[in-house]
Amino acid sequence: MFIVYKVKKQIYSLVLYVVTGFTCVIVAFPFYWLLITSIKHGKHIFTFPPIFIPLSVSIQSYVDIFQITGILPFFVNSCLISLSSVVLAVFIGSMAAYSLAKTYLSSRVRIALIVFVLLCKMFPSITLIIPYFIIVKSVGLLDTRIALIITYVAHCLPFTIWLMIGFFQDISASIEEAAIMEGCSFWQRFFQVVLPLVLPGLVVTAVFTFMLAWNEFLYASILTSFKAKTLPVVIGTFVGDQYLQWDKMSAMGALMVLPVIIFASFIQRYLIRGMTFGAVKG
Amino acid sequence: MSFLPKKLNPERDNQQRNILNRKSLYVNKSRGSLYSSEKRVSVIFILPALFLLFFTFVYPLAYSFVLSFFSWNMLVPYKGKVFSGFTNYVGIFQEPAFLYSVRRTFFFVAVSVSVQFILGLGIALLITNPRIKVMGVARTALLIPMMMTPIVIGNLWRIIFHAVYGPINYFLNVLGFSSYTWLSNPQSAMVALIVVEIWWQLPISIFVLAAGIQSLPINIYEAAEVDGSSKLQTFQYLTLPLLKPVVLILLLLQIMDGFRMFDIVYGMTMGGPGSATKILSLLIYRRGLKFFRIGQATAMSWVLLLIVMTIGIFFLFKSQITKGKD
Repeated sequence: MFIVYKVKKQIYSLVLYVVTGFTCVIVAFPFYWLLITSIKHGKHIFTFPPIFIPLSVSIQSYVDIFQITGILPFFVNSCLISLSSVVLAVFIGSMAAYSLAKTYLSSRVRIALIVFVLLCKMFPSITLIIPYFIIVKSVGLLDTRIALIITYVAHCLPFTIWLMIGFFQDISASIEEAAIMEGCSFWQRFFQVVLPLVLPGLVVTAVFTFMLAWNEFLYASILTSFKAKTLPVVIGTFVGDQYLQWDKMSAMGALMVLPVIIFASFIQRYLIRGMTFGAVKG
Repeated sequence: MSFLPKKLNPERDNQQRNILNRKSLYVNKSRGSLYSSEKRVSVIFILPALFLLFFTFVYPLAYSFVLSFFSWNMLVPYKGKVFSGFTNYVGIFQEPAFLYSVRRTFFFVAVSVSVQFILGLGIALLITNPRIKVMGVARTALLIPMMMTPIVIGNLWRIIFHAVYGPINYFLNVLGFSSYTWLSNPQSAMVALIVVEIWWQLPISIFVLAAGIQSLPINIYEAAEVDGSSKLQTFQYLTLPLLKPVVLILLLLQIMDGFRMFDIVYGMTMGGPGSATKILSLLIYRRGLKFFRIGQATAMSWVLLLIVMTIGIFFLFKSQITKGKD
């Protein structure tokens, strides 16, 4: 009787494992398809039935996108813009978050500011883009990296502030009290005591910010035309194309997606924490 | 839960303020008490962020509100803005294309959010089941959609849904169905779009709900088991009610993202075929940045904004109420 019970239990958990595995495979399949389309030989892409496990591999499409499409400058743009947005957004955002997390301002002001930041997070970008385009145009910043950097920093700020407030509040007050007693000024306390303590938080925030800026398409496609074009905009030009350049499209897609996924898989535990932060305590 | 949890805890505030107000700390700073100088610096700390947010959110928003009362077609040179009162608003509500797009958007958001919630809850229950140990690889696999570039996702799924070379039709054939032209049929294009949206947002549902489930106290479950409640009863009377705050926030996030969705539909269907998948964000984009009818486009933006804000405030209000009850 006991053995039957045990076997039943094992079958039950086996079923659970199989279902979980199956779910993961389905969820990850499009990514796999992107990767194998990018390394298939050109002639193997358009076959029926489709080839699921490519036996012969070529990196021709990757060579093509650099040599024929010439994406190197746009790749550089993407890197420069995303990285500088990350640095600025994390810096400015954590300063604001520190100030909001501590109690120097009256609580009514803080509630108002936090709600304001939250509201900024909710706006659909499409509702802002038209006036924003006109404004940027009239300032003369169209097709510059600066315009995109400013935009991305601002768009990352609500999220950055939101995450960092939580991290700052986890620091115990006594550490800061000690710092005050030692005669640290506000700046010293922030840069030398508090920031090192929230380093994990900074990393998580930076990753999210990077993903936001790296993947952003709408603003980039409207604010840039050539000089400051980023990779998503280049990929956007494949939309509705009739020439079926699937190999190049997927090579570019893989080039964009792969670094993020590899890096993120190392810190996925923190990422999940960051993702669920607003909704679930801790 | 809640949006303002520890952040605004009065006791903690007082405690911290006491630290700063202690007499010993007042020692002769020439420019007044330490407290007020700290306050000054902390205002300086917020200012850059506020300035940026003002420049990129508040000012464009106000400007777009003003523009929505003007008739302005940027493609007609020498004919600048002309004040036209509520003409734009009246006009768009009489326009079949706009009303159709609103209906499509609501359909899209409602179906995709509800399905991804149910699927997400299912998978969250699966991966939090104590019987199995979910490894890092599986977690990463489930995270993948969220980390991919939306415009790449749009293009990629266009390949996957391709009528001849796409793997989806191949699987359908294997299962005995005939091939289907997914993206060139108005009804199925919407279905395809919803499938992609669900797939893309699924990680958020899964992990938010999983975190919610894991944060539930374990002893009430033991109590329920002792009292002989069935699995279904436990789920219905314990898990769901306890998860309610998390669920509300999650739905809020997902609905907002549904209304915001642009890149994927741009990459996949461009609103086509016809205007079957022309959801509001795409309509605004085409009206404002392809045909440059600025007045109409900004009026549409404000309608979309009001929809989103109404839903947002409704959910916030609702979640505050549940919080009060607990």
